[in-house]
Order: sequence, then structure tokens, then C-alpha cells
Amino acid sequence: MKNKKLLYGIIAVLAVAAIVIAVVLLTRPAAKKEETVFKMGIDAEYPPFSYMDEKGSYVGFDVDMCKAVCDLNGWKMEIVPINWDTKLISLDNKEHDCVWSGMTILDSMKTAGYVLSYAYFDNTQVVLTKEGNGISTLADLAGKKVAVQLGTSGQALLEGDQKELSATFNGGAAVTMENFNICGTELDAGGVDAVVIDLPVAKSLSEKFKGFQILEENLGSEQYGICFRKGDDDLCKKVEEAYTKLVKDGTYKKLAEKYGLSENSLCLLTAAN
Amino acid sequence: MTVWMMMSKMSEGLGRTCAIFFLTLLFSLPLGLLVALLRMSKNKVVSAITKAYISIMRGTPLMLQLLAVTYGPYYLFGIRVAQQKLIPVVIAFSLNYAAYFAEIYRGGIESMSKGQYEAAQVLGYSRSQCFNRIILPQVIKRIIPAVTNEVVTLVKDTSIAFTVAYQEMFTIGKQIANSQTSFMPFVIAGVFYFVFNFIVSWGMGRLEKRLSYYR
Repeated sequence: MKNKKLLYGIIAVLAVAAIVIAVVLLTRPAAKKEETVFKMGIDAEYPPFSYMDEKGSYVGFDVDMCKAVCDLNGWKMEIVPINWDTKLISLDNKEHDCVWSGMTILDSMKTAGYVLSYAYFDNTQVVLTKEGNGISTLADLAGKKVAVQLGTSGQALLEGDQKELSATFNGGAAVTMENFNICGTELDAGGVDAVVIDLPVAKSLSEKFKGFQILEENLGSEQYGICFRKGDDDLCKKVEEAYTKLVKDGTYKKLAEKYGLSENSLCLLTAAN
Repeated sequence: MTVWMMMSKMSEGLGRTCAIFFLTLLFSLPLGLLVALLRMSKNKVVSAITKAYISIMRGTPLMLQLLAVTYGPYYLFGIRVAQQKLIPVVIAFSLNYAAYFAEIYRGGIESMSKGQYEAAQVLGYSRSQCFNRIILPQVIKRIIPAVTNEVVTLVKDTSIAFTVAYQEMFTIGKQIANSQTSFMPFVIAGVFYFVFNFIVSWGMGRLEKRLSYYR
């Protein structure tokens, strides 16, 4: 029976192909476990924190920082691209040892028992005012002169998501200024009534100038941190210690510059100085 | 990133796409037949259980089944199976596709006239001989177009493995697209799937022709 032979032939080819593929795929990642391997879970679609570069390898601010942290600790780094929607599930399953990829720290993660590092990147936009300007809520900004630094995420915010708010400002939009020092000086001198600015910068300005205050209401809060499994406090501590070293030796700032991240958001920088 | 670079990066994932495809077919085709036979069993309990299995497998998204098979064992029994991800992925795909294949087999088997069984009995064939030598070869012939449908769908469904971050071709394509802000990887993926399916359809077409004896 020629046809039966053909059928068996096809089945045999399928079976052989399947077995060969399975064997190749199953035997290849048989890594020797002599040194400590640190598996970094990344969202490979999140530039400039973690993404695929021109040559097809994973890079980014977080990836490079993690590499430096691993070098300091003598660990072998392994990058595990994950599905962002199920990042905590795959973390529980030990597919990777941390989620480190421009991840916003959420209170719900702490409640669920995950170990979180300190915030290393701050995208929170706040309103900085001076005592006596009569501004205590966002609604009070109506009709006031508000400044924002040119080309910052604060400006993008006021022209985008917070467009309605900025329409209530004096002149229907925020005044843009060259840098945050001018913003501070203008605010101090009474040239403007309030400034929309990154939280770490607002903090350092309010230390420099007298009577500055940060509104409790913010324009969107985002702090990035690293998430570890429940009980991995020691691992978190080791990573944090190495990270602090990298802040001190300037690697943190250098890598942020390399990936075009605003210095204003580097919250560890102000803390270190 | 050059188009050539994108293609070579994505073909790294093509091996995994093929692995899902071939292994799923290898396991789900026989499993489907078994499920079909159990489904037609005269034992009411057996047939009810299989019926429930089929309705669950067809009634829930493959994406959820993938999550359940990959991560379920850890949350239920504390067993971590996700390290060697090909295994749970292939199990989930096979269980899912077996349900569809089972119904195709059943349709084929039930379309055979009763007269053939009776004739076989008269000629002295046992029940299993009758099924293996007379019924099954005809069933295979009849169900090929329906099976081709499923096989073609399977090629495209392999991309659902991104749910559990299995680095198959489409997952890598997505990474390149979002990292390089380019639409090109999706075009490449489309071409890959089309060519793959073109070959599958051609092969199944030839098989169908080969099996169309007695016509």
C-alpha cells in the first residue's frame, strides 16, 4: 500500500523532527552552577531603561546598572525578558530573581509581601510655591503665573495629560524657563507664583530657598524601584549597597547621561551629595 | 537596526516557534483520536467527563490555559515548572488542540455508514480490525481539510506563547519593534507566518491528493 507508506513516512518525519528539536532545545541550557547567577527580569520593550539595541543585545540604563551591580558582587548576570503583565507571577516561579526595568513602586506590591528596593529614579511632578502665595491645592493655581522648565517631563505633562489644568493658569499656559535654577530664583523674587518641577529638584530647591513649600497634591507620581521575591531581603540589601557605591563613584550619573535621562529625576544623586 | 539584522534576530526565535508547532502536532493528533473515542464511549461517565474536557478546552482562551499550565503547578502544589518553558507550553497547546482534533475525528467517524460495520462483521473482522483497517483510513481521508484548518491556525497560534514570555519569533519581533520604534518586525513576522503556512497548506494539499484513491 503506497498511500499507507506515505502516511507513515510523514508521521515518521514529523516525529523525528519533533524529537530532534526537543532534544536540541532541552539539552542546550544545561548551565553549570558554580558561580552565583543573578537573573534580571526585564521588560525588553521599555527604552531607555531596558531594550534591544542595534546589534540585537539587551541594553538600557537599568541593564547597564545591573551589570555594574553584578560586577561589584561578583555575580554572573543573566537577562530574562519577561511578560510585563505577569512579571510577579514569573518572579514567584523563580524564572528571574528580580523585576528591574523602570518599574513603578506600588503600595500593593508591598502589601503582597514583595521586597522592594529604595527608589532610584523619580518621575513625580510636583508644584513648588512660596509661603504667602495663597496656593495650597491645584485648583488655587487658577489665574496664577506658573513656570516650568523647558524640555522636561513636567512641560510634556502640562501640554498633554494636564492640559486642562494649565489652561487655568495666567495667560492660559505655563511660562517656560531655561533651567530649574532660574525657576527657583523667579519664584523667590515673585516673578512667578508656582513652579511645576520634578520632586527631587523641588526638594533641593526648598532647602536652598527660604519659605518654599511643595504642594501635597502632585501631578502624577512615579518612582522606580527593584522588586524581589518575598524573603529575599538579603539579596535586596546587597543590590542596594552596590547601587549606592555606583551612585558615589559616578557610574549612576554617567549611565543616566548615556541614555539621555534627565538629571532631575536621579533622586539618589541629591541624597548622596 | 537593519532589516537583515532584524530577520536574523527573529529567526533565532523561529526554532522555538517550530518546536511548539511540531511537538504540538505530534502529541495532539493521537491524543485527539483517544479523546474522540472516549467521547463516543457507551459508558456515560466516561463520555460525560470527556465532553466536559472538550468544552473547557474550547471554551476558555488558550492564553489562560498557557498561564494555568505554566504557573498553576507552583501556586497549587509548590512545583516550579516554568524554568524549562517548552514543556508546559507544549502541554498546554497539545491539550487545547487535542480537544479540537477530537471533535474533527468524531465528525469523521460518525459520518461512516453503519452498513460498513455490519459488512465487516459478516466478513469476520473483529471490532478493532474493522476500525483500524476499514473505518480509520476513510476517516483520515475525510477529515484532512478540517485538520488542515486547525494546523494552519496552530502556526499562527504559536505567537500566543508570548503570554508566558517564551522567546519565540513573535515575542522577539515585538521587542525589536518597541525598542527600535519600527513597524518592520511585524511585516517580517507576517511574511514568516505566511510562508510557513504556505508550505503547510501545500504539504497537506499533496497528502489529500495522495489519499484520494478510489475516486
